[in-house]
Amino acid sequence: MIRAAGLTKRYGDQLAVDHADFTVEPGTVTGFLGPNGAGKSTTMRMILGLDYPTSGGVTVDGKPYRALPAPLREVGSLLDAKAVHGGRSAYNHLAYLAKSNRIPLKRVDDVIGLVGLEQVAKKRSKNFSLGMGQRLGIAAALLGDPGTLLFDEPVNGLDPEGILWVRNLMKSLAAQGRTVFVSSHLMSEMALTADRVIVIGRGQIKADTTMRDFIGQNATTHVRVRSPHAGKLHELMTGSGWRVEALPDDDGALQVFGVTSDAVGDLAGQNGLWVHELAVVQPSLEEAFMSMTADSVEYHAGMPAAGPAGVEAR
Amino acid sequence: MSATTTAANPTAGYRTGFGDVVAGEWLKLRTVRSTFWTLVTLFAGSSAISLLICLAAADEFAKDKAAGKPDSGDIVLVGLLFVGQIAAYVLGVMTISAEYSTGGIRTSLTAVPRRVEILVAKAILLAVIVFVVGLATAFACFSLGDIPLRAKNVGVSMSDAGATRAIFGSALYLSGLSIFGLALGFLLRHTAGAITIGLSLIFIIGGLTQLIPGSFGKWLYKVMPGNAGGGITQFGETAKNAEKVFAPWTGFTVFVLEVLMLLIVGAILFEKRDA
Repeated sequence: MIRAAGLTKRYGDQLAVDHADFTVEPGTVTGFLGPNGAGKSTTMRMILGLDYPTSGGVTVDGKPYRALPAPLREVGSLLDAKAVHGGRSAYNHLAYLAKSNRIPLKRVDDVIGLVGLEQVAKKRSKNFSLGMGQRLGIAAALLGDPGTLLFDEPVNGLDPEGILWVRNLMKSLAAQGRTVFVSSHLMSEMALTADRVIVIGRGQIKADTTMRDFIGQNATTHVRVRSPHAGKLHELMTGSGWRVEALPDDDGALQVFGVTSDAVGDLAGQNGLWVHELAVVQPSLEEAFMSMTADSVEYHAGMPAAGPAGVEAR
Repeated sequence: MSATTTAANPTAGYRTGFGDVVAGEWLKLRTVRSTFWTLVTLFAGSSAISLLICLAAADEFAKDKAAGKPDSGDIVLVGLLFVGQIAAYVLGVMTISAEYSTGGIRTSLTAVPRRVEILVAKAILLAVIVFVVGLATAFACFSLGDIPLRAKNVGVSMSDAGATRAIFGSALYLSGLSIFGLALGFLLRHTAGAITIGLSLIFIIGGLTQLIPGSFGKWLYKVMPGNAGGGITQFGETAKNAEKVFAPWTGFTVFVLEVLMLLIVGAILFEKRDA
């Protein structure tokens, strides 16, 4: 379990993390979302004792990271896959980590097999692809068989098979009762993987809730209807007091809010209007995220529509 | 690929100790090629230069000695004071600066968050390794340098006054220099910066302080790390320059204190700074 209380980090007059309070519970995958520069990495670095909080604190299983008796056996982390000395082989990189926490060297072979790096284990890691580096980082995180795992952008550079593997790995780690805290800018990926979500914007915790509630509270379900008589249908629905928005770049598709698809279909039928498509659209995590953090994006792109600007891209 | 890991760690609850940190750092040090090649350079480069310089200087050396001019037998160790000093210092810097330039330091610190233990483990390992290789190198330089001198009947001997002390002293000095490099590496966290500052301090600034007039200049020259620590590597005439430099052991003690002071400052900053 990770618990932050009043966690604050100030760089000069810039508040990178501002009195953050949150708890990451065991047994679930908790996603950590925030726009670029929102304080995600700083928070993760403070959890790992790499950066010092200006005030407040954060503990893992009740202890500050630096007080953990054998850190790698309790917390596994993947912060930056490139944070390894490229001149050392993958095997030796894991072996020194194992030695430093007196983890049996047999475990090194185990995790190399687990992430599928057997073929290149004895090769120097500087020639690794991004995906192989990511696998090495995940192997290092799993090395001490820890109860708490932190992953920063774990699927970066992985192929589709690798992404599926990481998703299943995280779910199975959580199912084993471990605490899994993962940040990603891939919203669809997070929606599939995480059960809970902590959202940070401008250093402040904006939400700490379940994925379902987060989406439900920050974006609304709507009905999508496409008709050759879009103009007439638009008029009728507006006349019924419904909120209707035409999709600008579509062939007569309308978005209707606050009603069921039954009601839309009935209205069209009663007026003898053809309908080519009628569907209930569930909001995405991305929409929920954008609507929540719209005001806290550090760098806005100069685009009129709410595009993927501000979503962390690395 | 399987998505499962092993069940609960059978050795969970173990508390890592300083011995584990040393074991990890030792594996780290010997699994990068730069360590090996730096030490090979230290040994082979120093030996070769000692031999070559003694070959070139043997005639002059013999003439001076015959004319009763002051000579200095420690010419046989000259390679150590050139290539050896650079290699030992660079190895010390790289031991930590490479971790900063690759970002590996963050991984190291998540494994061992009690940071000073990393610094102390690195310092102990470096000091021992460089002392051992330095000692072998000093013996090699002494023997190789002696060959051309002996051919002119002006060879050096272990029984010459101060010769044994200079051989062991060279190993100690190189060992200290590597720690000096380590300390500056921790302070600056930058390979090129630490190498430039350290080497210019030893090879350039150390000599330039002679130009400062008065007793302050004299004192400054004496306490510059290369001048204070280097005295222990000298024997024969150059070691008798009591006016200019400290006595060998006094100078070495000053040097060790300077290195320790830098290392302590490095440790404090390492502990306090964000990684």
